[in-house]
Amino acid sequence: MSQPTPIVQPLLLQFQQLFFLSKLVGVLPQDLTKFRFKNVLEKSRNGMIYMLGMLMLYIVLYNLLIYSFGEEDRSLKATQSTLTFVIGLFLTYIGLIMMVTDQVTALFNQGRLGDLYERIRVVDERLYREQCLVDNSTIAKRIRIMLLMTFVFELFILLSTYVKLVDYTQWLSILWIVSAIPTFINTLDKIWFAVSLYALKERFEAINATLEDLVTEHEKFLTWLNGDDRNNSIEEHAAVESVSQPPQYDTNLEYLYKELGGIDVGSLRGSGSKGKNKVAPIAHSLNSFGESIQSPRKLQQSNATPMINMAHESELSNATKVEEKLNNLCQVHDEICEIGKAMNGLWSYPILSLMAYGFLIFTAQLYFLYCATRAQSIPSLFRSAKSPFITVVVLIYTSGKCIYLIYLSWKTSLASKRTGISLHKCGVVADDNLLYEIVNHLSLKLLNHSVDFSACGFFTLDMETLYGVSGGITSYLIILIQFNLAAQQAKDAINSFNSFNDTAGLVGAATEFGNESSSLFDLVTTTMMTPLN
Amino acid sequence: MCPNSWVIEMALHKELLHPQLNPRRIRPVNQAFMRSTRGTNTLPANPVFADIQTILSVLKATGLLPIYEQLSSFELGPPTKPNEFYSFFVRGVVHALTIFNIYSLMTPNSAKLFISLRETDNVNQWIELLLCIFTYTLTVFVCARNTKSIIQVMNEILKLDQEVLRQFGIALSNHCNFSIKFLVLIAACQAYIIFLRINALSGAVSPTTYILIGFYAIQNGLTATYIVFASALLRIVCIRFQFVNQLLNGYAYNRLLGKNPRQLQLHMDKFPEDSLYIYRTHNRLLRIYKSINECCSLIIVCFLGYSFYTVTTNWYNLFVQITSNKGVISSHIMQWCLAWLCLHTSLLTLLSRSCGATTHEANTTSQILARVYGKSKEFQNIIDKFLTKSIKQEVQFTAYGFFAIDNSTLFKVSYTPISW
Repeated sequence: MSQPTPIVQPLLLQFQQLFFLSKLVGVLPQDLTKFRFKNVLEKSRNGMIYMLGMLMLYIVLYNLLIYSFGEEDRSLKATQSTLTFVIGLFLTYIGLIMMVTDQVTALFNQGRLGDLYERIRVVDERLYREQCLVDNSTIAKRIRIMLLMTFVFELFILLSTYVKLVDYTQWLSILWIVSAIPTFINTLDKIWFAVSLYALKERFEAINATLEDLVTEHEKFLTWLNGDDRNNSIEEHAAVESVSQPPQYDTNLEYLYKELGGIDVGSLRGSGSKGKNKVAPIAHSLNSFGESIQSPRKLQQSNATPMINMAHESELSNATKVEEKLNNLCQVHDEICEIGKAMNGLWSYPILSLMAYGFLIFTAQLYFLYCATRAQSIPSLFRSAKSPFITVVVLIYTSGKCIYLIYLSWKTSLASKRTGISLHKCGVVADDNLLYEIVNHLSLKLLNHSVDFSACGFFTLDMETLYGVSGGITSYLIILIQFNLAAQQAKDAINSFNSFNDTAGLVGAATEFGNESSSLFDLVTTTMMTPLN
Repeated sequence: MCPNSWVIEMALHKELLHPQLNPRRIRPVNQAFMRSTRGTNTLPANPVFADIQTILSVLKATGLLPIYEQLSSFELGPPTKPNEFYSFFVRGVVHALTIFNIYSLMTPNSAKLFISLRETDNVNQWIELLLCIFTYTLTVFVCARNTKSIIQVMNEILKLDQEVLRQFGIALSNHCNFSIKFLVLIAACQAYIIFLRINALSGAVSPTTYILIGFYAIQNGLTATYIVFASALLRIVCIRFQFVNQLLNGYAYNRLLGKNPRQLQLHMDKFPEDSLYIYRTHNRLLRIYKSINECCSLIIVCFLGYSFYTVTTNWYNLFVQITSNKGVISSHIMQWCLAWLCLHTSLLTLLSRSCGATTHEANTTSQILARVYGKSKEFQNIIDKFLTKSIKQEVQFTAYGFFAIDNSTLFKVSYTPISW
């Protein structure tokens, strides 16, 4: 079966723009020239060095950014407790941690990523042989849309924050551009994952569609048989017999079908044939379908003549023939499941870090928005929270990434489970003992093909997790706001105390109150997330 | 083609009749297992479970495991009367010491122990101590009750090994070297904690305090050792599951893609016989897995509770230290907390990882079997039978039925202290 020219377009052909961009900013280390000419991802030492260089550069720049913009933070640090400081530091650096995780994982996986796409290509070939074509062209479109959206979001957040909230009179403010790098690189990496996952989902759906096509064809075939019965007494006899006696169904039908086909050829040739049989092929090709050429969906073979179509549509009624096809589809299904698992394994740490990032940043951004509305100071890197509109955009961008990945994983896993249903439809519509056994056997196998996407086995990526996370964010937000409120009230109390002390100090009885209030102030600063004005 | 395969069949049957003479058909798939000690079958003097010998002897000496007799290289006998009496005696001593300790905890003498350590909350210390005592006492009780079933489990594993050796000429190794590392870690952590604790004591220390501290450390250490032992057992079972899976993987369609139909036919001819063996072994392994679960689950639940509590309080203490003193962290408490955290997190990780790995291997078998495509009805029926059986038979290592132990548990356990 080894052919010099590939019979299917490799999936990676669609990834060209994404790959060049990823290569440029240092998301993937693979070889550029090999990708351009052969559409394969191969290890590359130079790419690795380039990527490490970019990584170092980003880390240095980001630290510089934090240093130059953290001056106001540093003055606040004196009033902050250590815990708040540590948490603030963690929130500041989580973006960087996420980016480093992505890049380091990409470095470690650089050999395996190519294998993954090679396996997908093999799957495509097998699907092609089963006449089940997968349309890759939407993937390129999808990538373009995602890239566009990434650019729009990143640029909007960057520029609007820069114009509105950064003091751009100083030349150091240009460093603010660096603040967009971690999220941008992370998004590029996740686009790879999301699009590959989408490709897998398409393949599952192609399998399902092929099975469904078999069903619809067979249904049409049955209606044709029934409709035909009314016209022809002899064939009616044969058809009824074949329907009423399932065990002999397929052989009878095949015989009948060959007969019909042969007669059709004969009638086309213009050789002698009986009048009643002339009707049958016409009735078959026009009456029952209402369309002249019936090609299976997605089967774009131009040489499909009505004859070949007729041979096609009887596929389900020929159990031994269809067994091969179903077996192959089942094997391909398993292979896709395995690819899904491998892909999940490659991206498990990046996804874990992304989910942690999404959770933390979402909570922090909302909390800082609250703080900003209360005119409290917030860490300088979260200055986008000062404007509600920018905050909304940031939240949509961050949550969009996480939710899309979770949603896609969930959908893919659902699509893989749907195959069993489609397979059973085949069994039901064929109503044939032999086929039913095959279907049963294969559906047992399908039941054991599992593809569940999880982040390192810690939690699965499905809607349930999404629900849990959103609940978590809400409850944490409420807790934080309550702390903040309590701290605010305590601060007000201290202020009134202090003013009271000031007046009382004139009288000369301030010492014990002063002690008390300072210890209270300690308590306040430890419980607060952010310093107060 | 037909006569050819028939001849092969006959040869197989002959071999089956004299299985001991030649270890038959060693597949390339199994090379990972081949490398391991081939000569162990001729060494009856070699103790069984050589990998975990150290940990076994520790547990035997402390009465947690029976001092069994080794009848042959593949069979263990019940302990002899004096040995049984020794275990009994040790357990009695342990219980007496526990009662003594609880008594001395009630006396004001012990109050010094707590107050010297931490001013913030002695209640935590109390609860921790009581939990530790409770866990250990429970461990001793459960172990005493499960003496027979532990020996039975070990015997089952050994019998399985023997069969594998006879049929395939492969001696399965256990890869349990981690047990010794963990033993050293436990000992080091406990010794360090004792050192820290005694260092912190001020003034005259009565001998009962020393006994209290020493026994507390021993209790902690032995409970931890038992957890390591359970993990080692799980690892052993996991390796057997892996063996079964690899054997089955030889028949999966993706391994046979390149072969021509004739080779395929020859290859698949062995399948019914092998599958029978595989199913039997898998079932037996599941049974072993279940009985290990039954033996250990109560102890594991207790340990998880104890360890969860310890981890949480220690994190809390660390945070209190970091926040309240404005960066001036008491190095003593820091070391103390870190020692505890190191011990407990590593044990938790070990436990959840080995449980997760074994469960995963056990559940993979049906997935691999789903990849076997037989041409004839007979093969399909064989496959179907097993697959039907395993549809709703998701294997899990549960903590006394409360929850399944794997990575997600670890996630939950680490997630909750953060929110607190």
